[in-house]
Amino acid sequence: MSQYAMVIDLHRCVGCHACALACRAEWNVPVPYHRSWVEDLGPEETSEGLSYTFFPAMCNHCDHPVCVEVCPAEPIEKEFRDPKTGKTIKMAAKATYKNPINGLVLIDKDRCLGCGACVDACPYGARYLDDTLDKPKADKCTFCVERLEHGEVPACVKTCPVDARIFGDITDKDSEVYRLVHKEGAKSLTSKEVNIGPNVYYLGKKKDIELLFKKCAPHKRTWENVKAPSRRDVLVAAIKKIRDKV
Amino acid sequence: MKLNRRQFLESAGIATAALAAWKIPKGVLASPAPAASKVATDLPGSLGAKEVPSVCEMCFWRCPIIGKVKNGRIVKIEGNPKSPTNGHRVCARGNSGIQLIYDPDRLKYPMKRVGARGEGKWARISWKEALDEIAYNMEKTRKKYGPSSLALFDHGASAEFYRQIFKGMGTENYTNEPAFFQCMGAVSLAYVMTYGYKIAERVDMSHSKVMLFFGTHLGENAHLAQVREYVTGLQNGAKLIVVDPRFSAPANKADIWLPIRPGTDTALLLAWINYVIQNDLYDKEFVQMHCKGFNELKEGVKGYSMEWAARICDLKLHDIKKAIDMLAASRPHVAIHSGRHSAWYGRGDVQRHRCLAILTALFGAVAVPGGIYFPTSVDLGESDCVECEAPEDVEEPETSLKDNYPFASYFGSPTAEIIRATRTGKPYPIKLWGIAGVNIIHTISNPYETMDALRKLDFVFSIEILPTESATWADIVLPEANYLERYDKVYVNHDLTPYVTVRQPVVKPLFEAKSPFWIAREMAKRLKLDCFHCKSEEEYLDEELEDIDLSLAKLNKEGGLVRLKGHPYRDPNKPIKFSTDSGKIELFSGSFDDEDMDPIPKFEPILAPPKGYARLVYGRVPTHTFSRTMNNLWLHNECPEPMLWLNKEVAEKMGIKYGDRVVIVNQDGYRSANLVKVKVTPGIRPDTVYLPHGFGSRSPLLTKAYKQGVSDQFLITRYILDPFFGGSSHRTDFVKLIKDGKTLDIPELRPVPPEIPRFEIKKV
Ligand code: SF4
Ligand code: SF4
Repeated sequence: MSQYAMVIDLHRCVGCHACALACRAEWNVPVPYHRSWVEDLGPEETSEGLSYTFFPAMCNHCDHPVCVEVCPAEPIEKEFRDPKTGKTIKMAAKATYKNPINGLVLIDKDRCLGCGACVDACPYGARYLDDTLDKPKADKCTFCVERLEHGEVPACVKTCPVDARIFGDITDKDSEVYRLVHKEGAKSLTSKEVNIGPNVYYLGKKKDIELLFKKCAPHKRTWENVKAPSRRDVLVAAIKKIRDKV
Repeated sequence: MKLNRRQFLESAGIATAALAAWKIPKGVLASPAPAASKVATDLPGSLGAKEVPSVCEMCFWRCPIIGKVKNGRIVKIEGNPKSPTNGHRVCARGNSGIQLIYDPDRLKYPMKRVGARGEGKWARISWKEALDEIAYNMEKTRKKYGPSSLALFDHGASAEFYRQIFKGMGTENYTNEPAFFQCMGAVSLAYVMTYGYKIAERVDMSHSKVMLFFGTHLGENAHLAQVREYVTGLQNGAKLIVVDPRFSAPANKADIWLPIRPGTDTALLLAWINYVIQNDLYDKEFVQMHCKGFNELKEGVKGYSMEWAARICDLKLHDIKKAIDMLAASRPHVAIHSGRHSAWYGRGDVQRHRCLAILTALFGAVAVPGGIYFPTSVDLGESDCVECEAPEDVEEPETSLKDNYPFASYFGSPTAEIIRATRTGKPYPIKLWGIAGVNIIHTISNPYETMDALRKLDFVFSIEILPTESATWADIVLPEANYLERYDKVYVNHDLTPYVTVRQPVVKPLFEAKSPFWIAREMAKRLKLDCFHCKSEEEYLDEELEDIDLSLAKLNKEGGLVRLKGHPYRDPNKPIKFSTDSGKIELFSGSFDDEDMDPIPKFEPILAPPKGYARLVYGRVPTHTFSRTMNNLWLHNECPEPMLWLNKEVAEKMGIKYGDRVVIVNQDGYRSANLVKVKVTPGIRPDTVYLPHGFGSRSPLLTKAYKQGVSDQFLITRYILDPFFGGSSHRTDFVKLIKDGKTLDIPELRPVPPEIPRFEIKKV
């Protein structure tokens, strides 16, 4: 299996938000939701001096996605095809699932119940329930899977003015992301409490990484208390909503 | 900004309502474009869209772009891959151009004022009525008060057309770009006088070994090509020195941060120049061959010691020595950034940038990799069509608004003088204003005076895209096509790799918006000016392109952009003729000497804050341009309001915590219209507060920006005029904070040396 991953180089990042806006434009993400966003951190003291850095954030396409765990949708068997080898894999997938070929955590919109369990479960706040739709659906960053299929890079990678976003297959030892993670020490945002194998990595000055972890590493095991509603509850809520609108 | 889910849902309702009210009229089709790759509108996202090359104007860096169109609607904006500067990239604002074109608040039709000036109450009228009315008033005013009673405030590419109309009417007040008088005037003048070229900002950062920024905050200022060059420089191992009272985004990437006392930059630069000369750290050969006035310079700066500068600037001697040694060790490959926005203190701004220009010359960092470089000239043809001539029988007014400023004629009439003449009738009356593409109320120092002048005019018209607060004062408003809907003039970039490109319509103008060419031509017709005879935009563009063997069609075949060969660097063995009076780099400025201005820069102290006050400084956020983008749905969402930066130690003494909301009050008693959140941080000097520029719109017609955040501009009421060209200062105001109704003094943690007098507040 491959695993798509992204490294964000804070040496280069200038905190310009271009990535967030390119994502919004490409997928017409309605305000105020976001699939990709940027937070300002500092200026603040660290053990290495003042730091003023940025947290460009998105879904981490985790190795152990807790959002998938809590999804209440009935799993159905799906077939996934590896475009490189032509091999296929069969797997039972819920509405939210991890693609066994490329490691992307994706949402099957047709099957999403709109219950929001995954939104509450994600310790990174990467998901939203799109309430601008008649039937709300969960949504989030897909690493631009559709663009990847057409040989394009993710929209945020393409627009970044300083090429701070490096994208690739981390299982490929010749890839730049592999080198940055395994040789340059790019780190994913984890903590003692929360380590679910995120695939977005950050590289930067020591002080900036220190501030990033202090401010942004998740500590709450958000998924543990998520009670996914029964499908009946979800149905009833949806009907009520439609009735309210009428 | 992150919202919890409830907040999400609450604001989502508002967003949907706004979207629902916005319908694109039927039949709006994309304009014909060069053959794009296979167009397939059913692919997801922007995949398969039709591509039209053009030029961005979300800010004035003007990156080449590709507009991506599906079903007649722009779905995405990307950089033009042919561009040597940005390639396929655009910044946050560039990405958000879609929300300018589809902003439901846009001006849709010509309108006539029905309420009071400033209220923004209008009634829809026809283009014919609007243009007739403007022409009638221009002629009437000219007849009654003379040609110079007409004044134009302008900015941006479209303004080039309207400028011609005012020039054709014979006024001396036809190009009064607030951009120069409020922004770039001082730096432009300093570099032109020293080098003879406009090489300000042509700084070869990507090839430099050390970069030096004075207040320049690239990254927060998102001019894409520069940001890219600066970060490339860092990536290639360049060192960075940042001089700024605030720990800016580049300060975080810097090797040395010098948190200088505001107003003392020239002291530091003069001491550095002296140190470089005294310690033989300069490039003797270069100076001998190419510079004029070295001995006068040496003599002029000899009194400025490093110890003195450290005390005046409130910096550590060790740090300022380390910085200048670092620069000297890497000469000539040092990128001393000229700066851009330079209207800081009024007095001394030109000389501060002269010092930067001189230091650059001493290091020989001129037209070498990593230094400043020459613009490559491109022989573009001229089209007579869009050039109007001033009538021959018109005489310059007896007393010109430029009289007191020996170098104003480079830029136009000082905006402050136009405002004064309008308010007082002296030295001559100004009775009619045109305002095109610039929100003057949110740009020019002391907006209260600007509004007073607007009240006194006989007639004012505005050509705009959005109903800004300045537009709300107009008697007639004309809706202009925005940059994605129109042609402008040919755009030539003269940088490292020069190129030629054009702005062209990606889609047709919405509603009744019209292109600047069309508007200007209709005005010219009515005013019987002998210009704008060509029938279409394409015609004058082809005329301009002809001399470099191009045409619009040819350019579009090349993807909308053609690269040219640049000549940025000098041949070390050949003499250079600079286009200064002496043909050399003028360390000693003959032109300044002729006008009784200091030919060698001197230190003139800038008044320090009165006791209990801090200096108000401002800057940019990367998601906004001036006050232009605050109503953009996406950019507003990204950054709806600014935070006020306050030093941590000061805040503790004042009892202010991170996120507290305060009112700002300035030395003249003007208060911010609403509360601002405080960002308590060690990353700013105790005697300075910082507020990002452009927020707090007062136009109720801007439904997203109205009253959002606090405006720095409405606190900038005290200004000093630049003696060289009449620019207005913007960093000469002082503020206190009001929390829970109590006015709090800002404690003074860094004592002011006796050489720097304080501003005194007049007791009334
Ligand atoms: S576009 Fe690049 S530089 Fe800008 S915030 Fe995103 S990652 Fe950082
Ligand atoms: S820097 Fe951004 S807003 Fe300015 S021209 Fe370039 S893309 Fe457009």
